[in-house]
Amino acid sequence: MFSGQSRWFKDKCVYLWIRIALFERQLSKIIEHLVNNANRYYERDALVADPDYGSILSSLLVGPCALEYSKAKPPACFWTDPPADELVQRHRMSAGTTTPPSVRRPILNFKRSLNASSDDGSSNNPGTGKAAGSSAKDYVESLHQNSTATLLYGKNNVRVQPKDIEEPMPGYLSLHQTAAGLVIKWTPNQLMNGYAESEGIDKSMAPTCTVYRRRCAGPLCIDCVYWAMSLQVCVWEVVYVHVHRSQASDALILVGQDGVQRPPIHFPKGGHLLSFLSNLETGLLPHGQLDPPLWSQRGTGKVFGRGKVRRRPLPSLCESGETEEPEWEETAGDYVFRIVNNAIADREAMRHSLLERAVQSPPRTPRRPLASTSTTSSDSSTMSVDCPPSAGINGVPPPPLTPIPHQPIEQAASIELVCSTMRRQIISRAFYGWLAYCRHLSTVRTHLSGLVHPNIIPRENADGGLTDERWLAMTDEKGAIHDKDEVYRLVYYGGVQHDIRRHVWPYLLGYYEFGSTAEERAEQDTACRRQYETTMSEWLCVEAIVRQRDREATAASIARLSEASGKLKPTDNNDTSEVFEDDCSVISDNPPIVSPEPSETDQKRPGPDKPVLSRAPSIDEVDNIELDSERDKETKQNGETDNGDSRDLDVDSLKDLEDEDVHLKSVVENPDMRRESIAEIKRLAEEIVQKGEGRALLCSVDSAQLNGSEFRSSIDESQPSPHQQHTSVIITNPSVDLAAGGSPVSGGTTAQVSPARSPLGVVREESQSAGASFDTLEPADRNATDNRSNCVSPASSNGGVYSNELVESFALNLHRIEKDVQRCDRNYPFFTDENLDKLRNIMCTYVWEHLDTGYMQGMCDLAAPLLVMMREEASAHALFNSLMRRATDNFPSGQAMDAHFADMRSLIQILDCELYELMHAHGDYTHFYFCYRWFLLDFKRELLYQDVFAAWELIWAARHVASEHMVLFIALALLETYRDVILANTMDFTDIIKFFNEMAERHDASAVLSLARDLVLQVQTLIENK
Amino acid sequence: MSSRKKVLLKVIILGDSGVGKTSLMNQFVNKKFSNQYKATIGADFLTKEVIVDDRIVTMQIWDTAGQERFQSLGVAFYRGADCCVLVFDVTAPNTFKSLESWRDEFLIQASPRDPDNFPFVILGNKVDLDNRAVSAKRAQQWCQSKNDIPYFETSAKEAVNVELAFQTIARNALAQETEAELYNEFPDQIKLNANDNGRNRDGDNCAC
Repeated sequence: MFSGQSRWFKDKCVYLWIRIALFERQLSKIIEHLVNNANRYYERDALVADPDYGSILSSLLVGPCALEYSKAKPPACFWTDPPADELVQRHRMSAGTTTPPSVRRPILNFKRSLNASSDDGSSNNPGTGKAAGSSAKDYVESLHQNSTATLLYGKNNVRVQPKDIEEPMPGYLSLHQTAAGLVIKWTPNQLMNGYAESEGIDKSMAPTCTVYRRRCAGPLCIDCVYWAMSLQVCVWEVVYVHVHRSQASDALILVGQDGVQRPPIHFPKGGHLLSFLSNLETGLLPHGQLDPPLWSQRGTGKVFGRGKVRRRPLPSLCESGETEEPEWEETAGDYVFRIVNNAIADREAMRHSLLERAVQSPPRTPRRPLASTSTTSSDSSTMSVDCPPSAGINGVPPPPLTPIPHQPIEQAASIELVCSTMRRQIISRAFYGWLAYCRHLSTVRTHLSGLVHPNIIPRENADGGLTDERWLAMTDEKGAIHDKDEVYRLVYYGGVQHDIRRHVWPYLLGYYEFGSTAEERAEQDTACRRQYETTMSEWLCVEAIVRQRDREATAASIARLSEASGKLKPTDNNDTSEVFEDDCSVISDNPPIVSPEPSETDQKRPGPDKPVLSRAPSIDEVDNIELDSERDKETKQNGETDNGDSRDLDVDSLKDLEDEDVHLKSVVENPDMRRESIAEIKRLAEEIVQKGEGRALLCSVDSAQLNGSEFRSSIDESQPSPHQQHTSVIITNPSVDLAAGGSPVSGGTTAQVSPARSPLGVVREESQSAGASFDTLEPADRNATDNRSNCVSPASSNGGVYSNELVESFALNLHRIEKDVQRCDRNYPFFTDENLDKLRNIMCTYVWEHLDTGYMQGMCDLAAPLLVMMREEASAHALFNSLMRRATDNFPSGQAMDAHFADMRSLIQILDCELYELMHAHGDYTHFYFCYRWFLLDFKRELLYQDVFAAWELIWAARHVASEHMVLFIALALLETYRDVILANTMDFTDIIKFFNEMAERHDASAVLSLARDLVLQVQTLIENK
Repeated sequence: MSSRKKVLLKVIILGDSGVGKTSLMNQFVNKKFSNQYKATIGADFLTKEVIVDDRIVTMQIWDTAGQERFQSLGVAFYRGADCCVLVFDVTAPNTFKSLESWRDEFLIQASPRDPDNFPFVILGNKVDLDNRAVSAKRAQQWCQSKNDIPYFETSAKEAVNVELAFQTIARNALAQETEAELYNEFPDQIKLNANDNGRNRDGDNCAC
């Protein structure tokens, strides 16, 4: 419905669709359509309807529509931030003009990799005065007239000879009037040309910048050099202006307060120098002036002043400049002008007069320089302590400012007072600075001493890392490696050669002992493999149960779905309500509203359970509890009948009994657990009833599961047969699973493949059972009581009775593992189906051994590189076990993550206070969540595989060489690598998270790791220097 | 247009692991489906500008780890959310069953000002798969029972309903903002007396 509102929008947003179409790259298609159908939309004389212009218009738009506009933001969209890559590149572009980080704590500043070129740049070019504090773009924009600065003078092809360059280079000279005073800028043509056409337009900037950035990757970047060459001089910092005139060119040299000469500026012939000086003089007014004045009033025109001018005065330019210019042109000579800042002089005069009145003391020689330094630099209260107090006084030659009227003796006294006051201030400031530094260091020691080892292990000869040759040389004739310190040291500083990683890693992870012989290690491996296979056979068997349940649950769901979607039978009244109840009870904690069942279940409920059920239970819950109690009995039966069969059984079943008691409660108290499987169990019970007696296919299963562990098959045979018969129902299908799943253990087995039931069959049975009346259900349940034992007994045939709780908990883990294994590094060629299966087995085995903590997301990522390296399940599992001993604390169940965040906070606070302040300004330490994945996975997701190997080795070796917490330093190194990007964009919590997520796998790992080592060393040195 | 306030809508996607949270987010933002996504660790977000009722708003969509154990670190991310998207997998009934606890958990952790009316949207993902196990009716019923939460059946893989769902998400999140904030910047001359002539005219003379 179009209304007034829409008309308003028509006015306001009439072009909005164009923008959107352009962004979506659809504009050309739309216009083409319009052109093709112009007679429908346009009047005959419209541009689009014109046979020629219309098609030209549409074809003209093809080009713009091919561009990616999402990067070019309209000013209205502040929220969508540029991608991380762009930020990094932008930073590189402007790195030449970045201000150095805070100097308040001089010793603690880093060499920063991204910024290296800028450091070089500024040292190359002491003449730049203030480094341009803004990006290149701002700089170029600043060359033009804008709101903050008035352009007083501009001249191209002015030549300047920067330091280290042999020939003077042409560039653009400009004079700007800003709020802070006059600024002289000179920019090499090389830079100007790049921006000439794109001034001030962000979008068109982009293409030029890309070219620019690409060149800017290394420290030798040409553009960075040019940026370093550009001049930016604040006129108030200049004391003298020297003019050297010769036949070839006019040169102008600026001399600063520090006495340093800026590179000479060569003006082309033709009065340009004069016109520059004249603009300069005008610009200096009203607070300053050239001394001597460029022109002095004499008769009709301005005449070049007397003073230092050696030759005759210059003719006027104002009125008769044209005619007299040749004279100036021909004249060679040198002139010196002094720039006088009246503002400073005025202030000084005022201060002196105040002091005069206050104090009377003996005369001393008045030294003007003091006054000038105090006003220009040290009057800022933030002046850093590290600036040596003497520098201000001795470093600067006395700049003779405006001649002040001769002072009486009292003035001298007051100056002395100023001197002594300043001396005191300087000393006290130095003292407090020192004090603060000491305190700071003591904080460092308190907070950080735990993070690094106190003794610094030297680096020498470790650059190559642990190579094949070195490794061989260290191995003795029995295949033992003894010098573990040397191994750690080499790995720490240089990493491990890729070929021998699989031999070295077991040592680094503490799986092999140093000093063990090859023989011992082989034994260890065999034992480990045997253990691994045993464990695997245990969980594979539980997996079989889980599979069966899953199948039934799925079938049931499908059955329910198909019922719900139409083919309703008359008896479906019950059924649909049951479906609905199931939803309610399973999903919500509210008891079902409409339910025919509770009364019946109430009756059925066994006495002992009553106290446990403190609140109104849902149907499923009740059922479940019933089943549990039934199982309780069964387990007892099992325990009795199986008694004597195997020792394991005894223990297991006893344990199981205890478990059951707990389980009853936990079912009620823990809705999560309950939710997982109630429906399945219920259906499983029904299923068993439906299926009747079992089929004797158990052996196939067992042989499948036990392949490789002979001692178990004997148990199988000795197992009393009645149970076996019952079990078969459950086991039948899993045997298919195992064989089909292709798990290595069952791989070579001769397991019979029992005919898999088609899901459809189940569906039919399901629907029948669901449609059954409650009267028939009850006996069925009783029937189930007997058959329930089957559910549990298959495990018993393997020497253990698995409680339902255990099965469920493993099922939950199994599903999670499978989900994650499937998506673990599937872009990495190593992970074929076969190897993913290995990974899955490692995960399951580990989780089976640690069922209390269970599977946690991220474990796959930690195991994957180990498997890639070891290629073999059992040893990869062994290494994973060692790895997890430390890593497990990082997961949500442990405390290490918070500790890491706290440590990061301390480290940043001490090592990079500027960054710390930024982070602090945006909130609490939740800021460090961007490190979460780093710490959880030891940077596995941040780096490419090759780099992950190197990083992990570094972390492992560092424990013995430099720091137990190498991860912190790698994290810090990552952060420091991009600190300037983060600071320049004042990123907050979310920005940083996004930035690092986008930068994943794109870091320069070797640089980061080496920076991390430097950081460790830095902290070690800090702590050592007590 | 540009004089009006910029709006940032923070949207949180929750749901069991492997239901397709990351895929949905990427399908919506980047119009791409990849079968290469890994399990999300920690949290990530993407932003996208959308137009809701002729307003440009920026959606900041947060993708979280699916394992409920990792929700403890969710607090930091949930804060200030404008809408919460709960995703389940129509082929996995358990993921549907956990919606309730995801919803509760979110309300506890994010503690929005008006929990009863906080906008949720439910997405049943993976409808492209054959082995569907949660019927639309069942999901719909549940959504109705929870204060009529909008429900969409999506496929991140085949981009079914994704756009529509996120449009709804954006609209509901925006509606969360106070009316005053939204409309006080309209100029006074707007008159809401719609007439059919106007519609015809507008329809013919398209803004192009």
